[in-house]
Amino acid sequence: MRKERAYLILRDRSMGEVQLFGMGLLPIGAPALPLDEAGKYVAGAYLVFLLLLLVYVGIMAAKLQRMERELRDLASFAEQGRPGTPGREAEDVPVDVEAQPAAVSDRNLTPSEAAAGRPDRVRGSSDV
Amino acid sequence: MYGKGLKPLSIATVVAIAVAFSLVFFYAPLDADQGFIQKIFYLHVPLAITALVGFVIGGVFAIAHLRGGDRRWDAYSYVSIHMSVIFGVAVLITGAIWAKASWGHWWVWDEPTLVSFLIVFLMYATYYPFRYAIEDRDRQARYASVFAIVAGAFVPLNFIAVRLAQSLVHPRVFATANGGLPGSMMLTFLVCLAAVALLWVTLVKLELTAKSASGQLKRLRRALDAPADSGSPRIAPEVS
Repeated sequence: MRKERAYLILRDRSMGEVQLFGMGLLPIGAPALPLDEAGKYVAGAYLVFLLLLLVYVGIMAAKLQRMERELRDLASFAEQGRPGTPGREAEDVPVDVEAQPAAVSDRNLTPSEAAAGRPDRVRGSSDV
Repeated sequence: MYGKGLKPLSIATVVAIAVAFSLVFFYAPLDADQGFIQKIFYLHVPLAITALVGFVIGGVFAIAHLRGGDRRWDAYSYVSIHMSVIFGVAVLITGAIWAKASWGHWWVWDEPTLVSFLIVFLMYATYYPFRYAIEDRDRQARYASVFAIVAGAFVPLNFIAVRLAQSLVHPRVFATANGGLPGSMMLTFLVCLAAVALLWVTLVKLELTAKSASGQLKRLRRALDAPADSGSPRIAPEVS
């Protein structure tokens, strides 16, 4: 019913009345709605736009959060893999390293040394 | 790299949108026929134009990808299309609201402009399943580029076809002798178009920055040989 009315109005317009619509999905040809009724639709359209924008920003924020978490995990992983890294906390030191005697813990042990918990020999001294 | 200049661009976008919306509600006169409801025009049409131009830009980036083989162009193409699809959703919703207010119907099937835009939108909606149905990343990028070029060429053809179609409901009078927008409305419209286009550029840049950061993170994880976390599967091309 309203659409038929719109067609009629447009036919009247083609006789010379003002037209001011461009391209896109442009409804045209209906009489003006009263402000209180039109306001709802206009507000709805602009709010939908803002809502979409907010949803997008929210998704991007979630993505950023996830990346930050992954980066934190990787940073802690990198620190654990590199002993002596500045900023390494004492409690991060593995327990088995702390259990080694101070004299031998600062150099590499052979598997048998590691198993016995002592050096078989001082590396290089017996070769002379 | 992609984040450079994002902050001033974002500020410019916010200012532009604020100015545009102020012009819409405080400067542009009420339309003699539609009254206040015509204010949707200043949002709906710039969104439609930006979305359609964005699709074409995605096709242009795809051409650059196929010519040079640089994966960055594929990422540009993907992000352009992605953003235009989001804008397309906004176009369809705002258009439906306007149609309901003006015609009393949410959708009219015998109007070429509406249906053609829907066809373009649905065509680009198939871009995602088409792209991610291909596992090999090189083939995926190549085929997606071909899709983007063909679909991008379809957009202006579709536009011309619709312009040639005779319709009583959607007269196109931007360039006619006895029609067109009055100066104040045209100014408002152009500012709105610039603001929406700026928003598109900003969001594309933001998306590219996020993808670049994500790509760098993956590279870092590979370099450290860290165990992968529970992260989601890749759903978009990486940008390094």
